[in-house]
Amino acid sequence: MKAFALPAPAKVRWGMLIALLLLWELLPRTGLIPELLLPSLSSTLKVLVQDSRIYWAALLVTLYEVALAMVIACGGGIIAGAVVGGVARLRELLLPVFSSLYAVPIVILYPVFTAWFGIGSESKIAFAGIYAFFPVMLSTAAGIRTIDPQFILAARSMGATLTQQVTRVIIPASLPAVFAGLRLGGALAIIGVVVSEMLTAAAGIGYLVTLNRTILDSPRVFAALLMILILSVAYYMLARAIERRVVVWQSVGRAPKAAQAVGGAGVPVSVAV
Amino acid sequence: MADLSQSGIAPGRHGAAPEKAAIEVANLSHVYAGAQGEVPALEDISMSVGAGHFVVIVGPSGCGKTSLLMMLAGLRAQSAGTILCHGSPIPNPDPRRVGVIFQEASLYPWLTALDNIEFPLSLRGAPRAERRQRAEAMLRLVGLEGFGGRYPHELSGGMKQRVSIARGLVQDPPVLLMDEPFAALDEQTRMTMGHELLRIWSVTAKTVVFITHSLTEAVYLADEVLVMSARPGRIIDRIAVPLPRPRTYEMMATDAFGQLRERIWHQIRKAD
Repeated sequence: MKAFALPAPAKVRWGMLIALLLLWELLPRTGLIPELLLPSLSSTLKVLVQDSRIYWAALLVTLYEVALAMVIACGGGIIAGAVVGGVARLRELLLPVFSSLYAVPIVILYPVFTAWFGIGSESKIAFAGIYAFFPVMLSTAAGIRTIDPQFILAARSMGATLTQQVTRVIIPASLPAVFAGLRLGGALAIIGVVVSEMLTAAAGIGYLVTLNRTILDSPRVFAALLMILILSVAYYMLARAIERRVVVWQSVGRAPKAAQAVGGAGVPVSVAV
Repeated sequence: MADLSQSGIAPGRHGAAPEKAAIEVANLSHVYAGAQGEVPALEDISMSVGAGHFVVIVGPSGCGKTSLLMMLAGLRAQSAGTILCHGSPIPNPDPRRVGVIFQEASLYPWLTALDNIEFPLSLRGAPRAERRQRAEAMLRLVGLEGFGGRYPHELSGGMKQRVSIARGLVQDPPVLLMDEPFAALDEQTRMTMGHELLRIWSVTAKTVVFITHSLTEAVYLADEVLVMSARPGRIIDRIAVPLPRPRTYEMMATDAFGQLRERIWHQIRKAD
């Protein structure tokens, strides 16, 4: 019996992306969707090239704010997560508080941030930094809390000091969870900066979205959206690539067939007595 | 100990002159604080393991076998009684005196097999060249030459336990404590690993204390089997296993093997 071979998932994903881009071009062109609601891909790209200086300048502002927000979120999140996850008393006391704070839509605090820090970059950095802090902190705490106790017992049996238990076991063992938190936190930092730029700002990509929306200049709105999209995807791919590099042992799913085939007992044919 | 000669026969077996004990436990008791007050876990344990002997401890689940082993390793303190390892107490883990091998291989997934074996050496800052050399010798000893660069997830269950044994042996401790090391393996791999362990034991001449639930494994491996009672754990029987060495799979079918197995089973049923 011959079954239809499904194409590889990567191919399907690329196919979907190309189809989407084609639809983006064709739907407005054929008039199925008015250009005001969805400007075609080509007119969006044309604006992006025409106004490239404006868009680059806006991107730089946004990148600067995202970078600083990430530093706050990642640095603070890892330190706070390590302390809260590592100390049982603090964990019982604080973890429920942080978990419920994470559920609060922190964007409601943004007006307060503008009052404190003004409408410049500082308020965006502060807001996005706090917004992204939670997933990093919670993920780090969870990563430390869920370390296999056997890892630490084994280290102690091998004579590891407390410092060595931290540096040689606890830190590497919690890296996968920390990286998962950083990936999510970074994405939230981008969202936080763009959203706050859209609310109140005089610079940045989010500002360009709001500015052009109010004057109904759809291609320029979509050009800004496209840049945000590319920024997010680029960040995600970069984060995954770094993660795969650092967390080697998690990137491969299961044992390769070779190891299974040799088996536990089959290997030492030459040494078995 | 890197002497890998296949014919190497460990000293201090049956028939040898009475040798001094590697491990001596006297009147050991342990009580831990539970939700409903104090719970006695181990009661008046006294035992002596001769140097180079292979002693297996069996007993019902929760009888405190693992606790006892942790105390022998210096990983946990007992409430009362003394433990002497080659004449001196072992208040803290010391991998140069006692190596511990756990049920789950507990290898570090972020380290290769070779780096895992080197881990205890690197903890005490041994030079890199020495570390590598010793780890590679251990890898050969456990029959995994050429697999040093693999990560644990690239190894089968039996191979992981081999790496774990190599890690326990790398500092050449005279005593090896094993807590159900083959429990997570399938029956066939388990038998082969037991046989492998005896081969490694015969070329390294270690004192071994081995915990298991498998009676067949106990008789197959041991010079002496200690049977523990249900909680609070006490030693209720000591059964010498006079089967000749090297042990073979064929011995399992003999009457002598069956009778020993039967006797242990009888004691455990009484104990539970």
